[in-house]
Amino acid sequence: MRAVIDLHNHSCLSPCADDDLTPALLAIEAMEKNIDILALTDHNSARNLEVFSQACELCSILPLFGLEVTTIEEVHVLTLFPKLEDALEFGTFIEFLLPPIKNKPKLFGRQLVVDLQGEVLQEIDLMLSSATSLGFSDVMEEALSRDALVIPAHIDRPANSVLANLGFLPSYPYSALEAIHPHMIKQKQNLCVLTGSDAHSYDQIGRRRCFAELEECSYEALKDALKDPRNISYQI
Amino acid sequence: MVVRDLAKLEGFTTQYMDEGNEEIVDAYAGDLLSDVMGNAPSDSVLITIQAHKNTVAVASLASIKALVICNNRSTPQDMLEAAKEEAICVFTTKDTQFEASCKIAKALGKV
Repeated sequence: MRAVIDLHNHSCLSPCADDDLTPALLAIEAMEKNIDILALTDHNSARNLEVFSQACELCSILPLFGLEVTTIEEVHVLTLFPKLEDALEFGTFIEFLLPPIKNKPKLFGRQLVVDLQGEVLQEIDLMLSSATSLGFSDVMEEALSRDALVIPAHIDRPANSVLANLGFLPSYPYSALEAIHPHMIKQKQNLCVLTGSDAHSYDQIGRRRCFAELEECSYEALKDALKDPRNISYQI
Repeated sequence: MVVRDLAKLEGFTTQYMDEGNEEIVDAYAGDLLSDVMGNAPSDSVLITIQAHKNTVAVASLASIKALVICNNRSTPQDMLEAAKEEAICVFTTKDTQFEASCKIAKALGKV
């Protein structure tokens, strides 16, 4: 089957995302856009993933439970888990490694934990968009050891990307790479180059996605497909 | 020195400035915003290549009064709008961070 995948999205938990971008809204709009596999990847926190799981179940979307981790070098890395509980555990670990800086909602935006109806359950005080104390290689190792997909995010962005911040792509067993303009990326280490919406607002849901040739719509099949770049194509 | 003195430095172009009356007593050079947030002194000017609106947010948090964007990097519109909102002045220059730092150190009387 040809699955539509979009593995990079934020919710109202990320300070930089709109307050009305709830996990439920993300899932519903992704369903409207015929996305088969969808990830929620808030900055350094997993606190909206449980409700995202419920929303995806209602929308018949295969969820991947993600975090966009900020390394100590300020590189953004997508870490995606098939199991909610693994993502929640990793989220607690990552939050613990954030510096004790309080968010200033007026400057950076609010950080909202919501329920399925979008009611605010909690507002997070700790600034979630800070850099963790984990180096790029440590994030790789921690996430890979937990059997997550590990994907350096938007490698063609001038800030917060592995190529901009480190200057090169260290040799690691990445699951794939993510780019805003994947067709412009020169083949690297025979890795799949994906693209994702990186949605921060309602209108950005589904703005970038790619197609994956899969045996079936499952995490294992996606993991398998990512071993060969020929399985990935784009809508340009 | 005050912020508007930065506008007079050779090769500096003003991208956004209010009256420019704020006092500047120190400077900080850095591109890792987490480091800037933790270590930049108050009432300072930040010398950086990070030309995006997050830099403005970090500057506001750290009580930085002005940004000097080096290496001829351009400042996006949303960054300048944020700068106006937070009353943080923004200058650009073709200088490297080192060259810009030297000029600013001289203006601050630190060398």
